Parts: sequence; structure tokens; C-alpha cells
Amino acid sequence: MNWKNEGDENAALDRLFHAYRESCPDPDASANFMPELWRRIEERQRSIFFLGRWARAFVTAAALLTLGMAAYLYIPHGTSRFSVESYVEALAAGHAQDTPDLPEPAMDEL
Amino acid sequence: MLVDFEVIKRAQTGDGVAFNEVVLAYRKRTLGTIARLISRPEDVEDVAQEVFLRLYFSLDQLRTAEVFEPWLYRLTVNAAYDYLRKQRRRMESRMSDLSEQQVMLADAAAGGRVDHDVRQRRQVTEAVDAVLSAVSEADRILLTLKEVEGLSLKELEKIYKVNENALKVRLFRARQRVLKAFGESGQAPSVKGTAKAEA
Repeated sequence: MNWKNEGDENAALDRLFHAYRESCPDPDASANFMPELWRRIEERQRSIFFLGRWARAFVTAAALLTLGMAAYLYIPHGTSRFSVESYVEALAAGHAQDTPDLPEPAMDEL
Repeated sequence: MLVDFEVIKRAQTGDGVAFNEVVLAYRKRTLGTIARLISRPEDVEDVAQEVFLRLYFSLDQLRTAEVFEPWLYRLTVNAAYDYLRKQRRRMESRMSDLSEQQVMLADAAAGGRVDHDVRQRRQVTEAVDAVLSAVSEADRILLTLKEVEGLSLKELEKIYKVNENALKVRLFRARQRVLKAFGESGQAPSVKGTAKAEA
């Protein structure tokens, strides 16, 4: 049977949709529907719970690490890692090899 | 409404008995909508359970019990949409991938045992599947809700949260594409008797 022979295509399409609605009535749920639904709900709750615990543990560890690092940086240490000498002194020290000491004058020349 | 607002409010507070009551009231209708949206009978329960699972974990976001039904429709539409997108990815139609109903029908047809009503239903479903494949999953769902489920534009407006004019334009375009596919499809299924009886 050709749908399009029964009037215009719009009406034919409406009839097809209507026939589809009639051929697919609301099905009944199986006996396992509710137990399976609750099993899935509990499974999701468990995973949310574990994820929450993991996230809390991670946040706590991160906070402790941050506090530890802050304390380490805040407390002054005995030996400073930074140089206190001036630029000229540092330059002179660096070029010590390039400027050999002058030889002492010979005694016999006096 | 199929349940009192009071039951929905109790379910929102985490009352399992009230949630059971809500599921039992809306289960059959939701299964029917999903069956017509996805047309794979063996997956209908799975998708329906996903809908109620999402409902359970999102009930606290529901502002008022009055908007519960559009809310549930929205969850149904989203779950069906996710399912159809996944289905499109594994589209290749191997025998192992056919629905149980299709396999049963194929077996029955091969043995000449398929009964007239079942054959007719299959033809209608295949024809609708074929014409709706001309549009995207989102438009397929929208058209099915309007043309098959018989939802009004006002109801669709609440579900989709878009204005009526935008919906009309989208529906018109989707229907035009479906009509074109319908026009090109050649012979349609032999369901004249069904159509006449319904008329």
C-alpha cells in the first residue's frame, strides 16, 4: 500500500505517526524494574560517597602541604642563601685569576 | 498530575517511600514515551531506569512540585537523546547487534510463522524509523513528542524552555525534512487497515 495515494503527503505522514502511536502502546515494567533501579541508586550513592571522601582527603593533604611550605619559608634560617657582598667585590673575586699579583721588587735592585 | 504535590515534596526530602510512589505512578507512561522515542524494546527499561536514577539525584533542584511533569519529560528526553547518540556510534547493523525483537521477527519471517499484526507493527516502526532518520536525534525526539506523543506547544515550551515561535520554526523545518524523506521513500508499509480503523 502506498501512503501517498491516500491524500496529500502531510495527511499521510500524520496517519503514519498515528499508526505508530497505536502500534507502540505503553509497555509494562518487568518485576525486576524497582529492585534494579534501587541497586543502581545505591551503587551511584556509594561511588559519590567514595569520590567525596577521596576529594576531602586530597583537599586536607593539599592544605597541610601548603601550611608546611608556608611555615618553612616564614621561619628565618641561620645561613642565608643570599650573598651580602657588593657587586664590585663579587666582580673582583670572580676575576682574581685574571689579575695576578705584582712580583715583589728584588732586594738587590735597592 | 499522577501524584499529589505532597508526595513529590516528601520525595525531595529523601523519603524513599515517596520516591517509590512517584516512580510507580509515572513508570508506565515514561516507559511508553521511551519505547516510542528509541524503538528498541529491550533497551527501554534500561533507559527508563536511567531517567528515574537522574530524577532521584536531581529532585532537590526542582523549585516547585508544580513543574514536576515537564521536569520528568526533560529528563526522559535527555536520557533518550544520550541513548540515541550512543546508538548512532555503533550503527553497523550486524546480526548480533539487532534488537531481540528484530532477531525474533527475522527468525519468524524465515520460518513463515510471523503473525500479521506483528508484521504490520514492524512495518510501521520501520517506516517511522526510516523517515525520522532524515533528521538529527534532537529533532527526532522533538517531532516524536509533538506528533506521536501528542504534546502541545505549551507543554513543549515548558520542557525545552524556549519560546513557542522558536519551537514552531524548528518543528516546521524538521517536519519538512521528514516529509521530503517520506516522499522519497517509495512504497510505504501496508498499514492501510490500521490507519482507517484509527480514522
